[in-house]
Amino acid sequence: TRPDVHPLPPGTHLLFSQSGRIEHIPLEGYDMNKDSAKAVLHLPEKVIIGVAYDCVDKMVYWTEITSPSISKAKIHGGEPVAVIRSDLQSPEGIAIDHLGRNMFWTDSGKDHIEVASLDGSKRRVIVDSDLVNPRAIIADPPNGNLYWSDWNREAPKIETSYMDGSNRRVLVKDDLGLPNALTYDSQSSLLCWADAGTHTIECMHPGRGDRRKIMDGIQYPFGVTSFGKNIYYTDWRRDAVVAVDRHAGRESDEFQPQKRTKLYGIVTAYAQCPSGQNYCSVN
Amino acid sequence: DATQGTSGDCRPCPCPAGATCAVVPKTQEVVCTNCPTGTTGKRCELCDDGFFGDPLGQGGPVRTCRACKCSDNIDANAVGNCNRETGECLKCIYNTAGFFCDRCKEGFYGNALATNPADKCKPCSCSPFGTVGRQTSCSQVTGQCQCLPNVSERDCSACQPGFFNLHSGNGCERCNCNPIGSTN
Repeated sequence: TRPDVHPLPPGTHLLFSQSGRIEHIPLEGYDMNKDSAKAVLHLPEKVIIGVAYDCVDKMVYWTEITSPSISKAKIHGGEPVAVIRSDLQSPEGIAIDHLGRNMFWTDSGKDHIEVASLDGSKRRVIVDSDLVNPRAIIADPPNGNLYWSDWNREAPKIETSYMDGSNRRVLVKDDLGLPNALTYDSQSSLLCWADAGTHTIECMHPGRGDRRKIMDGIQYPFGVTSFGKNIYYTDWRRDAVVAVDRHAGRESDEFQPQKRTKLYGIVTAYAQCPSGQNYCSVN
Repeated sequence: DATQGTSGDCRPCPCPAGATCAVVPKTQEVVCTNCPTGTTGKRCELCDDGFFGDPLGQGGPVRTCRACKCSDNIDANAVGNCNRETGECLKCIYNTAGFFCDRCKEGFYGNALATNPADKCKPCSCSPFGTVGRQTSCSQVTGQCQCLPNVSERDCSACQPGFFNLHSGNGCERCNCNPIGSTN
Protein backbone atom coordinates (compact mmCIF):
# COMPACT_ATOMS: atom_id res chain seq x y z
CA THR A 1 0.00 0.00 0.00
CA ARG A 2 0.84 3.65 -0.26
CA PRO A 3 3.34 4.79 2.33
CA ASP A 4 1.70 8.18 2.79
CA VAL A 5 -1.82 6.94 3.57
CA HIS A 6 -3.02 4.33 6.00
CA PRO A 7 -6.17 2.26 6.17
CA LEU A 8 -8.06 2.76 9.40
CA PRO A 9 -7.73 0.08 12.06
CA PRO A 10 -10.91 -1.01 13.89
CA GLY A 11 -12.25 1.19 16.68
CA THR A 12 -13.61 4.70 16.93
CA HIS A 13 -11.70 7.51 15.26
CA LEU A 14 -11.81 11.18 14.57
CA LEU A 15 -11.59 12.09 10.89
CA PHE A 16 -10.71 15.64 9.92
CA SER A 17 -9.68 17.46 6.77
CA GLN A 18 -6.61 19.58 6.38
CA SER A 19 -6.35 21.05 2.89
CA GLY A 20 -5.81 18.06 0.55
CA ARG A 21 -5.79 15.46 3.27
CA ILE A 22 -8.19 13.53 5.44
CA GLU A 23 -6.44 12.50 8.63
CA HIS A 24 -7.54 10.27 11.43
CA ILE A 25 -6.87 10.16 15.15
CA PRO A 26 -7.77 6.90 16.92
CA LEU A 27 -9.75 7.35 20.13
CA GLU A 28 -8.86 5.30 23.19
CA GLY A 29 -11.80 5.81 25.45
CA TYR A 30 -12.23 9.54 25.04
CA ASP A 31 -8.53 10.23 24.63
CA MET A 32 -6.91 11.03 21.33
CA ASN A 33 -4.16 8.57 20.51
CA LYS A 34 -2.08 11.30 18.94
CA ASP A 35 0.95 9.15 18.20
CA SER A 36 -1.15 6.99 15.90
CA ALA A 37 -2.66 9.88 13.95
CA LYS A 38 -2.16 9.35 10.23
CA ALA A 39 -3.50 10.40 6.84
CA VAL A 40 -6.34 8.25 5.52
CA LEU A 41 -6.49 10.02 2.18
CA HIS A 42 -4.15 12.37 0.36
CA LEU A 43 -5.55 14.37 -2.55
CA PRO A 44 -2.81 16.96 -2.86
CA GLU A 45 -4.55 19.14 -5.43
CA LYS A 46 -7.83 19.46 -3.58
CA VAL A 47 -9.20 21.61 -0.79
CA ILE A 48 -11.40 19.33 1.29
CA ILE A 49 -13.91 21.14 3.50
CA GLY A 50 -16.65 18.96 4.97
CA VAL A 51 -16.29 15.34 6.05
CA ALA A 52 -19.00 12.85 7.01
CA TYR A 53 -18.94 9.19 7.88
CA ASP A 54 -21.23 6.34 6.86
CA CYS A 55 -21.03 3.81 9.68
CA VAL A 56 -22.81 1.15 7.59
CA ASP A 57 -20.42 0.90 4.65
CA LYS A 58 -17.49 2.34 6.61
CA MET A 59 -16.98 5.10 4.12
CA VAL A 60 -15.85 8.66 4.43
CA TYR A 61 -17.61 11.32 2.34
CA TRP A 62 -16.22 14.76 1.68
CA THR A 63 -16.88 18.05 -0.09
CA GLU A 64 -14.17 19.68 -2.17
CA ILE A 65 -14.13 23.23 -3.51
CA THR A 66 -11.37 23.54 -6.16
CA SER A 67 -13.33 21.50 -8.71
CA PRO A 68 -16.51 21.49 -6.65
CA SER A 69 -17.50 17.89 -5.97
CA ILE A 70 -18.59 15.34 -3.39
CA SER A 71 -16.64 12.08 -3.18
CA LYS A 72 -16.36 9.00 -1.02
CA ALA A 73 -13.82 6.30 -0.18
CA LYS A 74 -13.62 3.24 2.06
CA ILE A 75 -11.80 4.17 5.23
CA HIS A 76 -10.11 0.80 5.30
CA GLY A 77 -8.25 1.78 2.19
CA GLY A 78 -9.75 2.47 -1.18
CA GLU A 79 -9.75 4.80 -4.13
CA PRO A 80 -11.89 7.93 -4.04
CA VAL A 81 -15.07 7.84 -6.10
CA ALA A 82 -16.83 11.07 -7.09
CA VAL A 83 -20.56 10.90 -6.41
CA ILE A 84 -21.63 14.46 -7.26
CA ARG A 85 -19.67 16.44 -9.83
CA SER A 86 -22.05 18.89 -11.44
CA ASP A 87 -24.05 21.92 -10.37
CA LEU A 88 -22.03 22.61 -7.25
CA GLN A 89 -20.50 25.98 -6.41
CA SER A 90 -19.14 25.85 -2.89
CA PRO A 91 -20.19 22.65 -1.14
CA GLU A 92 -19.23 22.86 2.52
CA GLY A 93 -21.00 20.89 5.24
CA ILE A 94 -22.05 17.30 4.57
CA ALA A 95 -24.13 14.89 6.66
CA ILE A 96 -25.02 11.23 6.24
CA ASP A 97 -28.36 9.62 7.03
CA HIS A 98 -27.06 6.10 7.56
CA LEU A 99 -30.56 4.71 8.00
CA GLY A 100 -32.24 6.26 4.97
CA ARG A 101 -29.00 5.98 2.92
CA ASN A 102 -29.01 9.63 1.94
CA MET A 103 -26.56 12.49 2.16
CA PHE A 104 -27.24 16.18 2.75
CA TRP A 105 -25.00 19.11 1.99
CA THR A 106 -24.89 22.89 2.16
CA ASP A 107 -23.70 24.99 -0.77
CA SER A 108 -22.62 28.49 0.23
CA GLY A 109 -22.43 29.60 -3.41
CA LYS A 110 -25.90 28.47 -4.41
CA ASP A 111 -27.19 29.21 -0.92
CA HIS A 112 -29.21 26.07 -0.61
CA ILE A 113 -29.32 22.61 0.95
CA GLU A 114 -29.52 19.48 -1.16
CA VAL A 115 -30.14 15.79 -0.61
CA ALA A 116 -29.19 12.78 -2.71
CA SER A 117 -28.86 9.03 -2.28
CA LEU A 118 -25.40 7.92 -1.25
CA ASP A 119 -24.67 6.97 -4.87
CA GLY A 120 -25.53 10.48 -6.04
CA SER A 121 -28.90 9.63 -7.57
CA LYS A 122 -32.27 11.14 -6.61
CA ARG A 123 -30.71 14.53 -6.09
CA ARG A 124 -33.03 17.32 -4.92
CA VAL A 125 -32.89 20.80 -3.38
CA ILE A 126 -34.73 20.78 -0.05
CA VAL A 127 -34.05 24.31 1.29
CA ASP A 128 -33.52 27.21 -1.09
CA SER A 129 -34.67 30.36 0.69
CA ASP A 130 -33.36 32.59 3.49
CA LEU A 131 -29.84 31.20 3.40
CA VAL A 132 -26.80 33.48 3.13
CA ASN A 133 -23.78 31.51 4.31
CA PRO A 134 -24.96 27.99 5.09
CA ARG A 135 -22.12 25.89 6.45
CA ALA A 136 -22.49 23.06 9.00
CA ILE A 137 -25.19 20.42 8.52
CA ILE A 138 -26.04 17.52 10.81
CA ALA A 139 -28.54 14.67 10.49
CA ASP A 140 -30.34 12.90 13.32
CA PRO A 141 -31.76 9.92 11.42
CA PRO A 142 -33.60 8.14 14.27
CA ASN A 143 -35.70 11.25 14.90
CA GLY A 144 -35.79 12.34 11.28
CA ASN A 145 -34.29 15.78 11.90
CA LEU A 146 -31.77 17.98 10.13
CA TYR A 147 -29.84 20.83 11.73
CA TRP A 148 -27.78 23.44 9.96
CA SER A 149 -26.02 26.71 10.65
CA ASP A 150 -25.81 29.92 8.62
CA TRP A 151 -23.01 32.34 9.57
CA ASN A 152 -24.61 35.31 7.78
CA ARG A 153 -22.95 38.23 9.59
CA GLU A 154 -26.18 40.24 9.54
CA ALA A 155 -28.33 37.47 11.02
CA PRO A 156 -26.54 34.25 11.99
CA LYS A 157 -28.83 31.36 12.90
CA ILE A 158 -29.16 27.66 13.57
CA GLU A 159 -32.14 25.99 11.96
CA THR A 160 -33.85 22.62 11.91
CA SER A 161 -36.28 20.78 9.66
CA TYR A 162 -37.46 17.29 8.87
CA MET A 163 -35.25 15.38 6.49
CA ASP A 164 -37.27 16.47 3.46
CA GLY A 165 -36.87 20.14 4.34
CA SER A 166 -40.40 20.51 5.68
CA ASN A 167 -41.28 21.87 9.13
CA ARG A 168 -38.38 24.31 8.96
CA ARG A 169 -37.83 26.36 12.14
CA VAL A 170 -35.16 28.70 13.53
CA LEU A 171 -33.74 27.14 16.70
CA VAL A 172 -31.21 29.79 17.71
CA LYS A 173 -30.74 33.34 16.48
CA ASP A 174 -29.76 35.42 19.52
CA ASP A 175 -26.19 35.89 20.69
CA LEU A 176 -24.61 34.12 17.77
CA GLY A 177 -21.55 35.33 15.86
CA LEU A 178 -20.12 32.93 13.31
CA PRO A 179 -21.67 29.54 14.06
CA ASN A 180 -19.34 27.56 11.80
CA ALA A 181 -19.71 24.19 13.48
CA LEU A 182 -22.52 21.91 14.66
CA THR A 183 -22.68 18.44 16.19
CA TYR A 184 -25.48 16.25 17.53
CA ASP A 185 -24.89 13.55 20.10
CA SER A 186 -27.67 10.99 19.82
CA GLN A 187 -26.86 9.48 23.23
CA SER A 188 -27.52 12.69 25.14
CA SER A 189 -29.80 14.26 22.49
CA LEU A 190 -27.62 17.36 22.68
CA LEU A 191 -27.07 19.74 19.79
CA CYS A 192 -23.81 21.62 20.30
CA TRP A 193 -22.20 24.37 18.27
CA ALA A 194 -18.87 26.17 18.16
CA ASP A 195 -18.91 29.85 17.29
CA ALA A 196 -15.91 31.70 15.84
CA GLY A 197 -17.58 35.06 16.48
CA THR A 198 -18.56 34.69 20.14
CA HIS A 199 -15.66 32.27 20.74
CA THR A 200 -17.87 29.87 22.66
CA ILE A 201 -19.14 26.31 22.58
CA GLU A 202 -22.79 25.99 23.53
CA CYS A 203 -25.29 23.12 23.71
CA MET A 204 -29.04 22.66 23.89
CA HIS A 205 -31.68 19.95 23.71
CA PRO A 206 -33.44 20.93 20.49
CA GLY A 207 -36.83 19.95 21.89
CA ARG A 208 -36.44 21.74 25.20
CA GLY A 209 -34.51 24.81 24.12
CA ASP A 210 -32.43 24.83 27.32
CA ARG A 211 -29.35 26.50 25.95
CA ARG A 212 -26.15 26.57 27.98
CA LYS A 213 -22.55 27.58 27.53
CA ILE A 214 -19.97 24.81 27.70
CA MET A 215 -16.85 26.87 27.21
CA ASP A 216 -15.79 30.35 26.23
CA GLY A 217 -12.56 31.96 25.16
CA ILE A 218 -11.95 29.47 22.38
CA GLN A 219 -10.14 30.88 19.35
CA TYR A 220 -11.49 30.11 15.86
CA PRO A 221 -13.56 26.94 15.52
CA PHE A 222 -14.41 25.66 12.03
CA GLY A 223 -15.67 22.11 12.60
CA VAL A 224 -16.92 20.22 15.66
CA THR A 225 -17.89 16.66 16.53
CA SER A 226 -18.92 14.90 19.72
CA PHE A 227 -18.17 11.55 21.28
CA GLY A 228 -19.53 10.71 24.72
CA LYS A 229 -18.55 13.38 27.21
CA ASN A 230 -16.14 15.01 24.81
CA ILE A 231 -16.41 17.60 22.08
CA TYR A 232 -13.63 17.91 19.53
CA TYR A 233 -13.24 20.96 17.34
CA THR A 234 -10.85 22.12 14.63
CA ASP A 235 -9.36 25.57 15.11
CA TRP A 236 -8.15 27.91 12.36
CA ARG A 237 -5.85 29.92 14.61
CA ARG A 238 -4.24 26.99 16.38
CA ASP A 239 -4.20 24.67 13.31
CA ALA A 240 -5.20 21.97 15.76
CA VAL A 241 -7.90 19.57 16.92
CA VAL A 242 -8.92 20.55 20.45
CA ALA A 243 -10.68 18.15 22.85
CA VAL A 244 -13.13 19.66 25.36
CA ASP A 245 -14.68 17.81 28.28
CA ARG A 246 -18.34 18.81 28.06
CA HIS A 247 -19.06 18.12 31.72
CA ALA A 248 -16.01 19.86 33.11
CA GLY A 249 -16.31 22.69 30.56
CA ARG A 250 -12.61 22.84 29.89
CA GLU A 251 -10.04 21.84 27.31
CA SER A 252 -8.58 18.41 27.93
CA ASP A 253 -6.19 17.87 25.04
CA GLU A 254 -4.90 19.20 21.74
CA PHE A 255 -3.55 17.58 18.60
CA GLN A 256 -1.51 19.71 16.24
CA PRO A 257 -0.56 18.01 12.96
CA GLN A 258 2.98 18.49 11.76
CA LYS A 259 1.78 20.58 8.86
CA ARG A 260 0.77 24.09 9.85
CA THR A 261 -2.26 24.95 7.77
CA LYS A 262 -6.01 25.31 8.29
CA LEU A 263 -8.08 22.38 9.52
CA TYR A 264 -11.67 22.17 8.28
CA GLY A 265 -14.39 19.59 8.93
CA ILE A 266 -14.22 16.93 11.63
CA VAL A 267 -16.42 13.89 12.26
CA THR A 268 -16.51 10.90 14.58
CA ALA A 269 -16.14 7.56 12.79
CA TYR A 270 -17.93 5.20 15.16
CA ALA A 271 -16.80 1.60 15.40
CA GLN A 272 -20.49 0.66 15.21
CA CYS A 273 -23.53 2.56 14.07
CA PRO A 274 -25.42 4.19 16.93
CA SER A 275 -28.57 2.23 17.72
CA GLY A 276 -31.95 3.48 16.56
CA GLN A 277 -34.09 3.09 13.51
CA ASN A 278 -35.98 5.36 11.25
CA TYR A 279 -39.53 4.61 10.19
CA CYS A 280 -38.77 5.53 6.61
CA SER A 281 -36.05 2.90 6.43
CA VAL A 282 -38.47 0.21 7.56
CA ASN A 283 -41.23 0.64 5.03
CA ASP B 1 12.47 0.99 -5.32
CA ALA B 2 15.23 0.00 -2.94
CA THR B 3 15.00 -3.70 -3.75
CA GLN B 4 16.52 -3.56 -7.23
CA GLY B 5 20.10 -3.46 -6.00
CA THR B 6 21.33 -0.69 -8.25
CA SER B 7 22.81 2.65 -7.32
CA GLY B 8 19.80 4.43 -8.83
CA ASP B 9 17.23 2.66 -6.65
CA CYS B 10 16.63 5.61 -4.37
CA ARG B 11 16.24 9.01 -5.92
CA PRO B 12 15.77 12.34 -4.20
CA CYS B 13 12.18 13.54 -3.75
CA PRO B 14 11.18 15.98 -6.50
CA CYS B 15 9.99 18.33 -3.79
CA PRO B 16 11.16 21.62 -2.30
CA ALA B 17 13.83 21.32 0.38
CA GLY B 18 12.73 19.48 3.48
CA ALA B 19 9.61 17.88 2.01
CA THR B 20 9.22 14.13 2.04
CA CYS B 21 7.55 12.15 -0.74
CA ALA B 22 5.85 8.86 -1.51
CA VAL B 23 5.10 6.76 -4.56
CA VAL B 24 1.47 5.99 -5.39
CA PRO B 25 1.58 2.21 -6.02
CA LYS B 26 -1.12 2.14 -8.68
CA THR B 27 0.23 4.89 -10.86
CA GLN B 28 3.90 5.04 -9.78
CA GLU B 29 3.35 8.73 -9.38
CA VAL B 30 5.50 10.55 -6.85
CA VAL B 31 3.70 12.94 -4.51
CA CYS B 32 5.24 15.25 -1.94
CA THR B 33 3.84 14.61 1.51
CA ASN B 34 5.17 17.42 3.62
CA CYS B 35 5.17 20.62 1.64
CA PRO B 36 6.64 23.83 3.09
CA THR B 37 4.21 26.00 5.08
CA GLY B 38 1.66 27.71 2.86
CA THR B 39 2.07 25.32 -0.05
CA THR B 40 0.42 22.07 -1.12
CA GLY B 41 -0.07 19.93 -4.22
CA LYS B 42 1.70 16.92 -5.71
CA ARG B 43 4.90 18.92 -6.08
CA CYS B 44 4.12 21.67 -3.56
CA GLU B 45 3.23 23.77 -6.58
CA LEU B 46 -0.02 25.14 -5.13
CA CYS B 47 -0.90 27.64 -2.41
CA ASP B 48 -3.13 26.86 0.56
CA ASP B 49 -6.77 27.89 0.47
CA GLY B 50 -7.10 31.65 0.88
CA PHE B 51 -3.75 32.31 -0.84
CA PHE B 52 -2.58 32.54 -4.45
CA GLY B 53 0.68 32.40 -6.34
CA ASP B 54 3.02 30.14 -8.27
CA PRO B 55 5.52 28.99 -5.61
CA LEU B 56 7.55 26.86 -8.03
CA GLY B 57 7.35 29.28 -10.92
CA GLN B 58 5.72 26.71 -13.18
CA GLY B 59 3.99 29.29 -15.33
CA GLY B 60 6.69 31.99 -15.30
CA PRO B 61 8.58 33.73 -12.54
CA VAL B 62 8.18 32.44 -9.00
CA ARG B 63 5.28 34.15 -7.20
CA THR B 64 5.29 33.30 -3.53
CA CYS B 65 1.91 32.56 -1.98
CA ARG B 66 0.05 35.68 -0.87
CA ALA B 67 -3.33 36.17 0.76
CA CYS B 68 -6.23 36.66 -1.67
CA LYS B 69 -6.27 40.26 -2.89
CA CYS B 70 -9.92 41.18 -3.20
CA SER B 71 -10.24 44.88 -2.33
CA ASP B 72 -11.44 44.08 1.22
CA ASN B 73 -14.59 42.71 -0.40
CA ILE B 74 -14.30 39.12 0.84
CA ASP B 75 -15.08 37.60 4.21
CA ALA B 76 -12.26 35.93 6.12
CA ASN B 77 -14.69 33.31 7.44
CA ALA B 78 -15.45 32.07 3.91
CA VAL B 79 -13.57 29.26 2.17
CA GLY B 80 -12.35 29.33 -1.43
CA ASN B 81 -12.12 33.13 -1.56
CA CYS B 82 -9.80 33.18 -4.59
CA ASN B 83 -8.33 30.96 -7.29
CA ARG B 84 -5.12 29.52 -5.83
CA GLU B 85 -3.12 30.11 -9.02
CA THR B 86 -4.48 33.25 -10.66
CA GLY B 87 -5.79 34.98 -7.56
CA GLU B 88 -9.14 35.62 -9.24
CA CYS B 89 -11.60 36.51 -6.50
CA LEU B 90 -14.44 34.00 -6.28
CA LYS B 91 -16.51 35.14 -3.31
CA CYS B 92 -16.99 38.87 -3.57
CA ILE B 93 -19.39 40.39 -1.03
CA TYR B 94 -21.09 43.80 -0.57
CA ASN B 95 -22.58 43.41 -4.10
CA THR B 96 -19.16 43.66 -5.71
CA ALA B 97 -17.74 41.61 -8.59
CA GLY B 98 -14.74 41.44 -10.89
CA PHE B 99 -11.33 39.78 -10.78
CA PHE B 100 -10.41 41.71 -7.63
CA CYS B 101 -13.97 42.41 -6.39
CA ASP B 102 -13.14 45.91 -7.59
CA ARG B 103 -16.38 46.86 -9.31
CA CYS B 104 -20.10 46.64 -8.58
CA LYS B 105 -21.97 43.59 -9.76
CA GLU B 106 -24.72 43.73 -12.43
CA GLY B 107 -27.64 45.77 -11.21
CA PHE B 108 -25.58 47.80 -8.72
CA TYR B 109 -23.60 51.04 -8.93
CA GLY B 110 -21.19 53.04 -6.83
CA ASN B 111 -17.60 52.73 -5.66
CA ALA B 112 -16.65 49.15 -4.89
CA LEU B 113 -13.46 50.43 -3.27
CA ALA B 114 -15.13 52.74 -0.73
CA THR B 115 -14.02 52.03 2.83
CA ASN B 116 -17.46 51.90 4.38
CA PRO B 117 -19.54 48.91 3.13
CA ALA B 118 -22.65 51.12 3.15
CA ASP B 119 -20.97 53.42 0.61
CA LYS B 120 -19.92 50.64 -1.74
CA CYS B 121 -22.49 49.35 -4.22
CA LYS B 122 -26.14 50.39 -4.26
CA PRO B 123 -28.92 48.74 -6.29
CA CYS B 124 -29.76 50.44 -9.61
CA SER B 125 -33.50 50.06 -8.93
CA CYS B 126 -34.31 51.21 -12.46
CA SER B 127 -38.00 51.98 -12.91
CA PRO B 128 -39.35 49.20 -15.14
CA PHE B 129 -41.73 51.61 -16.88
CA GLY B 130 -39.16 54.21 -17.82
CA THR B 131 -36.19 52.00 -18.66
CA VAL B 132 -35.27 50.68 -22.09
CA GLY B 133 -36.20 46.99 -22.31
CA ARG B 134 -37.00 46.99 -18.58
CA GLN B 135 -33.27 46.59 -17.93
CA THR B 136 -32.16 46.17 -14.33
CA SER B 137 -28.55 47.30 -14.85
CA CYS B 138 -27.24 50.86 -14.86
CA SER B 139 -24.03 52.80 -15.31
CA GLN B 140 -21.44 51.37 -12.89
CA VAL B 141 -20.27 54.83 -11.89
CA THR B 142 -23.21 57.23 -12.08
CA GLY B 143 -26.00 54.72 -11.58
CA GLN B 144 -27.85 56.20 -14.57
CA CYS B 145 -30.38 53.75 -15.97
CA GLN B 146 -31.01 53.78 -19.72
CA CYS B 147 -34.20 55.83 -20.02
CA LEU B 148 -36.89 55.68 -22.71
CA PRO B 149 -37.59 58.89 -24.73
CA ASN B 150 -38.52 61.94 -22.63
CA VAL B 151 -37.96 60.08 -19.35
CA SER B 152 -35.71 61.58 -16.70
CA GLU B 153 -34.10 60.89 -13.32
CA ARG B 154 -31.26 58.47 -12.52
CA ASP B 155 -33.68 55.59 -12.18
CA CYS B 156 -35.91 56.67 -15.12
CA SER B 157 -38.83 57.13 -12.76
CA ALA B 158 -40.24 60.43 -14.02
CA CYS B 159 -41.25 62.20 -17.19
CA GLN B 160 -39.38 65.28 -18.36
CA PRO B 161 -41.25 68.57 -17.78
CA GLY B 162 -44.00 68.92 -20.36
CA PHE B 163 -44.40 65.16 -20.77
CA PHE B 164 -46.71 62.55 -19.19
CA ASN B 165 -47.76 58.87 -19.18
CA LEU B 166 -44.62 57.14 -17.91
CA HIS B 167 -46.57 53.95 -17.50
CA SER B 168 -47.11 53.56 -21.24
CA GLY B 169 -43.84 51.63 -21.32
CA ASN B 170 -42.81 53.48 -24.50
CA GLY B 171 -41.53 56.66 -22.91
CA CYS B 172 -43.42 59.81 -22.06
CA GLU B 173 -45.78 61.70 -24.35
CA ARG B 174 -45.91 65.44 -24.89
CA CYS B 175 -48.63 67.13 -22.81
CA ASN B 176 -49.86 69.22 -25.77
CA CYS B 177 -51.56 71.69 -23.47
CA ASN B 178 -53.05 74.73 -25.09
CA PRO B 179 -50.70 77.64 -24.21
CA ILE B 180 -53.63 79.98 -23.86
CA GLY B 181 -55.57 78.02 -21.28
CA SER B 182 -52.63 76.61 -19.27
CA THR B 183 -51.07 78.19 -16.19
CA ASN B 184 -47.47 77.31 -17.06
